[in-house]
Amino acid sequence: MSANVADRDGLFASLYRQRGLIGLLVARELKARYRGTFLGYLWSLLNPLLLLAVYAAVFTWVIPARGATGVPYPLFLFAGLLPWLFLSGTLLDAAVVLPDNGPLLKKVMCPPEVFPAVTVLAHLVHHLLALPVLLAGMVVTAALGLMRFPWTIVLLPFALLPLLVAVTGVALGVAALAVHFRDLKDILHNLLTLIFFLVPIIYPLDAIPLSLLKRVVKANPATPLVELYRDLVLLGRLPGPRVWLAAAVVAVVCWLIGSTIFGRLRETLAETV
Amino acid sequence: MSSAPPVRLRQVRKRYPMLTRRGRLSSLKGALLHGELWRARKEGEGFLALDGVDLDVGAGETVGVIGPNGSGKSTLLKLVAGILKPTTGTVDVGGRVTALIELGAGFHPEISGRENAVINGMMLGLSRSEVLRRLPAIIDFAGIGEFIDEPVKTYSSGMYVRLGFAVAVVAEPDVLVVDEILAVGDERFAHRCLDRIAQLQRRGTAILLVSHDLGMVEQLAHRALYLSSGKPVLVGSAPAVVARYRSDVASEEAGAPAERQLGRRWGNGAVTLETVELLDASDHPVRLLSSGEAAAIRLVFRVREPQHDFVFGIAINREDGAQVFGSNTQLDGWHPEELSVDGEIRINFARLELAPGRYLVDAAVHTAAGLAFDYACEVLSFTIAAPVGWPGIYAPAHDWVPAGPVMTRSRR
Repeated sequence: MSANVADRDGLFASLYRQRGLIGLLVARELKARYRGTFLGYLWSLLNPLLLLAVYAAVFTWVIPARGATGVPYPLFLFAGLLPWLFLSGTLLDAAVVLPDNGPLLKKVMCPPEVFPAVTVLAHLVHHLLALPVLLAGMVVTAALGLMRFPWTIVLLPFALLPLLVAVTGVALGVAALAVHFRDLKDILHNLLTLIFFLVPIIYPLDAIPLSLLKRVVKANPATPLVELYRDLVLLGRLPGPRVWLAAAVVAVVCWLIGSTIFGRLRETLAETV
Repeated sequence: MSSAPPVRLRQVRKRYPMLTRRGRLSSLKGALLHGELWRARKEGEGFLALDGVDLDVGAGETVGVIGPNGSGKSTLLKLVAGILKPTTGTVDVGGRVTALIELGAGFHPEISGRENAVINGMMLGLSRSEVLRRLPAIIDFAGIGEFIDEPVKTYSSGMYVRLGFAVAVVAEPDVLVVDEILAVGDERFAHRCLDRIAQLQRRGTAILLVSHDLGMVEQLAHRALYLSSGKPVLVGSAPAVVARYRSDVASEEAGAPAERQLGRRWGNGAVTLETVELLDASDHPVRLLSSGEAAAIRLVFRVREPQHDFVFGIAINREDGAQVFGSNTQLDGWHPEELSVDGEIRINFARLELAPGRYLVDAAVHTAAGLAFDYACEVLSFTIAAPVGWPGIYAPAHDWVPAGPVMTRSRR
């Protein structure tokens, strides 16, 4: 039966088998979010657009900031924020997704791994909808001659893949643990705020003066994921093999840990949630 | 039909962890410090909701689960539905399971009934195309017309429930698990639900039904399981199990500590049945009769405490639990006056027109409210012989009258 498949052939196979349902639930999630709003899906575009506009205004006229990276600072910040917002938004939602779908787990016997997957994919869609805003910003900036348009952007899927795998893994682990420990949601919220400053998003990695601090930032598992993403999408440089390798290792380890936690706790979710 | 029953429970126990604040905190500490999260929970911790349940539900069979609140009925259903896993023991369920535990559970208020129906159907194990193919039937059964494209939050509670039921039953499950859902909805909808459940029974769906409506259990279920504090008290033909439950409830209400007698005979013993026998036309006790013969069932009783409120009853069942006949003195219009001396009572059948086979008799004496003085299940068995092996249970005297076809009859 559908509820038992994960015992036999693993989480991934179960997710693949439920792909039709997951797709529908993602569509439901997106539809329900904008149902009744006047602008509908435009909000997905408008939110990041406003964010970018505010950053551009603040860091151009209020605190003129110059990145040492050859691109305007607002774009630099925005290109780092996008993957981070995907990561943190997904994890925060994953911490509540199983309790939110409690009736389905307790009354309809829906395989629980479906829900974190839906959370990840819904956020991925939002992320992909925000990307055009970044692209437009880059096109405008390049047209003004302030930067060169980075053709490495065609390699974007290779930056998204490790990010997606890592976030899915952690989201699974967080979702299962949060059922047993409701504090996790609040812990996670504070933790993410802290970690945010330990990822080179508002500053470039090379701008850290203290070598110890630089090492801490480099050791942060989120760093290679964000670095890889921004290098390819905005900075137009191919990261070295160390960054690629680090991103791949982070992705695999996150998936293994998260899916193991989820697999261990899977049977207890319906009765605890 | 395969030989293995669709639902097979063996020595099933289910223990819930306690979710108290302290329990949670200690489990968090334990999880962090000792890795307890990964180990099986210690035996004896938590709440034992089910303790040693064995149950088979065959294809096309309906089993009612009755018992007081907190006796583990819903836990049993969730185990069969695959929502929960047993702590020990095995739960084998073959084929597609549909759980009617809360109708419309998980409908998203903001999206349309149509989209919700598709999502719910897929959660029940149908593919997208299967759901889409059945969608007209779903909409028709739910009877909500053009509202199907409106967001579910605009539905009345009746529409909500009807849509939930419609989706669940068109999935044509092999195993259906029903929890008290027919209590909702209006009379007309309840009838349609019962009708649909009867259709599923004919299709061979194994049904497990939890209800506090004992009349409905008697009506729908072939057999019943009576649970009390997680333990099975009695499994057997639905009327007998329901009678046992009624008797326990009545004796509890009467203030008598309910003795949890396990087995096929119970009662408080104020009046006891000494002998239950089948008599032939010449009043000789027999175990074998020819179909259509005159017969009687005699109950010899002994009175220990005189009674003013008493009912004698019998039931005839087939070996597989199917009810054949049952009646009691109250049903047949006899009013109790006094029962103070030992004696006997008999029920006469001018012609016992049963199909050949083996039959079992339950006999009881109880109060009008159901409190059993003595209730004996399967206290007597007898066999009906017939010259021809007619199938079924009823064998009325009959004759073929060929007017037209040329036929000859073999002499018997």
